[in-house]
Amino acid sequence: MKHYDAVVIGAGVLGCFAARSLCRWKLSTLLLEGAGDVCTGITRANTAIIYPGYDNRPGSRKARMTVRANAAFPRLCEELEVPYKRCGSLMLSYGPAGDRVLGQKLAQGRENGVSDLQLISGQQAEELEPGLKKGISSALYAPGTGTVNPWQLGIAACENAVKNGCELRLNSPVTAIGRQGKDYIVETAGECFSCAVVINCAGLSADKVQELLFPPRIRIFPDGADYLVLDKNVPAPRHILFHETEEKGKGLTAVPTVEGSLLLGPSRRPLTEPYAVEQKGIEELKAQAAKLLPGLNMDMMIRSFGAVRPKPQMMELRAGEYVPTGRDLGDFPMDRPEPGFFSLIGVKTPGLTCAEELGQYLAAQAAEYLDAEPNPDFDPRRAAIPRPAALPFAERKALVEAEPNYGEVLCLCEDVSRGEIMEAIRRGAVDVEGVKRRTGAGLGRCQGGRCRLLIEALLEEYRHGKL
Amino acid sequence: MESCDVLIVGGGAAGIAAARAAAEHCWGRILLAERGEAPGGVLLQCAHRGFGPGLTGPEMVDELMKDFPRRVELWYNTTVLRITEEKTALLSGRGIGLRQLAFQRLILATGCRERAFGSLGIGGTRPRGIYTAGQAQALLNQKGRLPEGPVAILGSGDLGLILAGQLSEAGCSIAALVEQKAQCGGMARNRRCLEQYRIPLLCSATVSRVCGGAALEGVMIKDLDTGAERYLPCKSLLIAVGYEPERELVRGLEGAEWLQLCGNCREIHPMIESVITEGKTAGYDCVT
Repeated sequence: MKHYDAVVIGAGVLGCFAARSLCRWKLSTLLLEGAGDVCTGITRANTAIIYPGYDNRPGSRKARMTVRANAAFPRLCEELEVPYKRCGSLMLSYGPAGDRVLGQKLAQGRENGVSDLQLISGQQAEELEPGLKKGISSALYAPGTGTVNPWQLGIAACENAVKNGCELRLNSPVTAIGRQGKDYIVETAGECFSCAVVINCAGLSADKVQELLFPPRIRIFPDGADYLVLDKNVPAPRHILFHETEEKGKGLTAVPTVEGSLLLGPSRRPLTEPYAVEQKGIEELKAQAAKLLPGLNMDMMIRSFGAVRPKPQMMELRAGEYVPTGRDLGDFPMDRPEPGFFSLIGVKTPGLTCAEELGQYLAAQAAEYLDAEPNPDFDPRRAAIPRPAALPFAERKALVEAEPNYGEVLCLCEDVSRGEIMEAIRRGAVDVEGVKRRTGAGLGRCQGGRCRLLIEALLEEYRHGKL
Repeated sequence: MESCDVLIVGGGAAGIAAARAAAEHCWGRILLAERGEAPGGVLLQCAHRGFGPGLTGPEMVDELMKDFPRRVELWYNTTVLRITEEKTALLSGRGIGLRQLAFQRLILATGCRERAFGSLGIGGTRPRGIYTAGQAQALLNQKGRLPEGPVAILGSGDLGLILAGQLSEAGCSIAALVEQKAQCGGMARNRRCLEQYRIPLLCSATVSRVCGGAALEGVMIKDLDTGAERYLPCKSLLIAVGYEPERELVRGLEGAEWLQLCGNCREIHPMIESVITEGKTAGYDCVT
């Protein structure tokens, strides 16, 4: 049985960053993922926002981490060569109830150290975003809010972890966890590993993973959400928009993504079926968007998808049964049922923003527990797949000359070449979705209508060792 | 910068017709850029005898390419990435590398793209097994592969019908052809397959939900008159709900005097004859 200092369970964005952070220490690390690829769960479907930190209770770990993470995001994305857009956000109010919320957020943000927050007038907001419905009463302008592609970020962190020595096993759902002295024994469908530290980042299954060994403490009761995406040619707002409606919880979020499309959502609702989108939700989002951005052409919708939002609850034993206490967890739900076992159960917003912070925190805890030394060879840089479409003419020409596969454009909508797709497959994409997450091929208006068969053919070639 | 007199983008029926006509009237350099490795465009994936005097798509391409004027330069494996107001094009291909090209006239013959599943706002999960009708056609006719049956087809226009017939002939079971309108959409000659293969046609109905985890398991069919929903097991869902002209390249340049659109990128043509006529007209217009 192979022994590791640390085993990370779950290769979503949080698990990938935990694994990367562990590499900053002299620790042997294994990252286990149940699916055939990384970042296929919650990371795959969320709102893609990097928050500035005015939403969180002053003094909380969430608030501290978010403010720090936001400031560090440009550096992080530069290291990992992931596109990041610090486009700023506007929280919009059209009445007294909204104005009150904005005032509270401003005070909270200032207390948290978000120094560039500004409460601006409706007129100023309209000048910043001419497409908005008229009659804005006030707006909270946060220049620091940004957006990143969540799965690109997670994949980049994973690649960087592997480069720094972390081992990755896919198709390895954890089936049992046991103890052997101070060590933990982690069992997957086919293998057994022993380790001194377990870091449980299993996303929606994190509660079940912990309950393989420990009694329930926190359980996830997931909610559902719907999103829709409009084509990049839609005249999109430049800022991320949060509509703070007079009726609580009815507002829309609009995100001009790094790809140039416009992401609308989430519509919040109870979970029906994991990752299913509900037509009712799509209609609701369309109606909300038409209200907030009257000029938006909803025929430009190219995709809708469902997401699962974890909602953690503390559990307690009552008359022989575990029941939710109903108490709000308030902060990031981190649990350490016994020394060496660390769980993130039900991390919600701003989990994506704080992915690196949470990873560093967990790794530091593990390092302290194991008395580990820093790894002087850790290299934080990861090289992205070359992106011809983002290069100036001369550089793109040189790249195509050096490697003609980068000259053959397979995805027309997003201008993605055969070379990029081949590289994505070499880096671990096992299906069309994996190629899409790594290259953007198929994200555009024809949704893979023209490139999908070509990509499937390349995947097939690779499986036969011909790529 | 390298230059030409006429640049034709797209080597399908419209582009070929335009190039031939231009070669008759224009003495300058004529260049046709085609992103595939051969001329023909969408015709290459059409195995049914629906073109001209009962020809298949590839036969029609041979016909169109007969005695093709040699002075037209054919650049295959070449994608036009950008067109600028200053009358330049950015081209990329594995043979030609990345090039900038100045032109006098541009003929856009980029055809159409299929309406994507994602634009329909259908509820449910997003499993494997959902294809556009064109993809299924290409799979069947160019790779000899069948989508996994039973198959549900959304849209009973000509493409949906032709596909239903071809798949049935190849031995694939069709669970249903689902049509939003009250009647079947396609031409009579394409409707014959419904009786021949006893394909269930569900009119005034739509697919309201997709079911399945990693792979498609079935769809919910909604009766648009009563609102009632029922489950239809299927392994593949083919989307045949129409086309959109593909003219992203000239977005914002519409109306420029040097630009002409012909064929399905201008408007969707049900018959190839009118595509060819439009191509010709565009080509003849390039007198120099």
